[in-house]
Amino acid sequence: MEKVEGAIKDHDLNIRLVDLPGTYSLTSYTMEETVSRQFILSDEVDVIIDVADASALERNLYLTLQLLELGKPVVLALNMMDIVEKRGMEIDLHRLPEMLGIPVIPVSARKRVGLDVLLHAAAHHKDCTDPTCLIHHHKFSSRHPHDHHAEYAMVYSDKIEDKIDLITEELKKSYPEIENYRWHSIKLLEQDKEITEKYPIYLPQVIDRNYESDLINEKYDFIQEIISEVVVNKERQEQMTEKADRVLTHRIFGIPIFLGIMAVVFFLTFTIGDWLKGYLEMGIESLSGLIRDGLTATGVNEMLRSLLVDGIIAGVGGILTFLPNIFILFLALAFLEDSGYMARVAYVMEGVMSKLGLSGRAFIPMILGFGCTVPAIMASRALENRRDRFKVMLVTPFMSCSARLPIYILFAEMFFGKKAMLVAYSMYLIGLIVAILVAAVLHLIDRRRTENYLLIELPEYKIPSGKTVAIYVWEKVKDYLTKAGTTIFIASVVMWVILNFGAEGYTTEMADSFGAVLGHHLVPFFMPVGLGFWQIAVALIAGISAKEVVVSSCAVLFAVPNINSGSGMDVLTGILERMGFGPLNALCLMIFSLLYIPCAASLATIRKEAASTKWMLFSAVFQLAVAWIVTFAVYQIGSLL
Amino acid sequence: MYLSEGRTGKQYKVESIRLPVQMEKRLEALGMTRGTEVDVLNSKSRGVLIVKVRGSRFALGRNITRNIIVG
Repeated sequence: MEKVEGAIKDHDLNIRLVDLPGTYSLTSYTMEETVSRQFILSDEVDVIIDVADASALERNLYLTLQLLELGKPVVLALNMMDIVEKRGMEIDLHRLPEMLGIPVIPVSARKRVGLDVLLHAAAHHKDCTDPTCLIHHHKFSSRHPHDHHAEYAMVYSDKIEDKIDLITEELKKSYPEIENYRWHSIKLLEQDKEITEKYPIYLPQVIDRNYESDLINEKYDFIQEIISEVVVNKERQEQMTEKADRVLTHRIFGIPIFLGIMAVVFFLTFTIGDWLKGYLEMGIESLSGLIRDGLTATGVNEMLRSLLVDGIIAGVGGILTFLPNIFILFLALAFLEDSGYMARVAYVMEGVMSKLGLSGRAFIPMILGFGCTVPAIMASRALENRRDRFKVMLVTPFMSCSARLPIYILFAEMFFGKKAMLVAYSMYLIGLIVAILVAAVLHLIDRRRTENYLLIELPEYKIPSGKTVAIYVWEKVKDYLTKAGTTIFIASVVMWVILNFGAEGYTTEMADSFGAVLGHHLVPFFMPVGLGFWQIAVALIAGISAKEVVVSSCAVLFAVPNINSGSGMDVLTGILERMGFGPLNALCLMIFSLLYIPCAASLATIRKEAASTKWMLFSAVFQLAVAWIVTFAVYQIGSLL
Repeated sequence: MYLSEGRTGKQYKVESIRLPVQMEKRLEALGMTRGTEVDVLNSKSRGVLIVKVRGSRFALGRNITRNIIVG
């Protein structure tokens, strides 16, 4: 079980914060819930901070009611209040604490709002076990001999309360050491495995059957009562969602609509991205020109000038110009996620995915893979079935991530002219098809058929919040810039070094360099797939550090400083064509780059998520094999045409 | 009848659930117990449904819906 700990100082108290795994309930059916429950009941815990998603209050209050029954002071932190407001709903923050009898603090974990107040409330509430803290007034007045409404927020029907009272009396006699009789009585009534074994009692008339469903139902009845009193303005939004769902999740049009949306996403990525890219190129071009002139004018030594201009500026600068395309792609993905559409994709794709032996939910990590493989692989955590997770981890890297985009943009524009966008599109399709085929083959050879259970909550649709989208996109842009400044910077320097140093030291003749020697050794492996050029072999090997490095390496390898600009492309096309590298080779390079070994960051994530170095190595070898076979087929068939 | 046979726009009452314990408990924690009313909002062929249970919307796969008996 994952338990994250931290310490803070507040109110002259040394507070130890323990983050327990997220859960919806506290039964003893799963290991995690049992361990969380035991930990909360232990003396180590003074106060429970229940972090609830305010935008899905019903289900989150279910856990709150269970926590209240544990008998420890509880503070309710209502997270995501901004989303609630966005939806035009309001939560009555005066009535809610009255009904629950605990402090309720609105917070926004993302914007770091309300966290000090939350700590304050926790610090003050920790000693509150006095029933007068509770000011709850139930709608119904009970005829029950003990008026539990004065003591507890969650009071069951008289029939159940009678049983709880009878069990409590029996427990007091048999087990005087128990601290919270009510909770133990409720658990005995539910026939909870752990508690029944620990505190067996004999009351066949009282516990005549399992009352778990009754208790759940009554808790939810109370929750409905709370919701109807504290949530204002709920209906309007629901109607809109249902109308939208009738179209977007239509039994026939659902899939075409999804494909259409993805096509629009990529169309925008290429067109708007390219338009913005033009301006960025001009900026970078004039900057690199200035630096070059400056270096020449100040008479910096030739080797250093070459490293700066041909190595770093060519490599890193080349990658920076793709930023607009990446920006648009992530912007679109953020819109899909924040609007609530992404969860629907699981439903829409359930039919197709179940034929592959996967749940529709497994499709979400695959779409995220269009952005970046690393978070996509992490998102596979949401899948309950371990074997599903491994399958998804194996196929997700085939989904064409944004890092491969520069390769398509560059080579498609150089060799396919007006059809460039079509060729780039087809890369996404090829990636998707290979992923699906691999999943299908795995399903066929997998004899241990397990049933998949699709169960996913569909949030209400909303207009994406500018702030959420901005934060999401900024994170990705920052990652990209960081990658340009670190991985790609280092790769460019290393590339320059191995291309400018040979057995005889510094050389301006690239053919004598270490890089060339290494590349020549690899040519036989790449020859059958149409990539038998030592420069391309070196670029692809370097590309394992990050896929963009294939492009930045080409810039260094062919000494083209502004690789992504019109003039840069012309120069590179000329060089490549003289080498005998034509459109078919370009296509093979794109397909090979799409499918071969995932980048270093993805490999590290696979190793971590699968907790297996073997699986990571298998994944790398497997992808390399798939890439080689597919590209081989394309090259051989293409050569015949 | 089974929930998988449910029609769009109709409301059903859960009579019993026959799923592996883990799955059943998850559904219960989400408020889907015996006697709960379930609205079918949308359906695809083979029992893949969007349902509304106690104010929240869920997509349920066929392996779940064909194991829930409703009336």
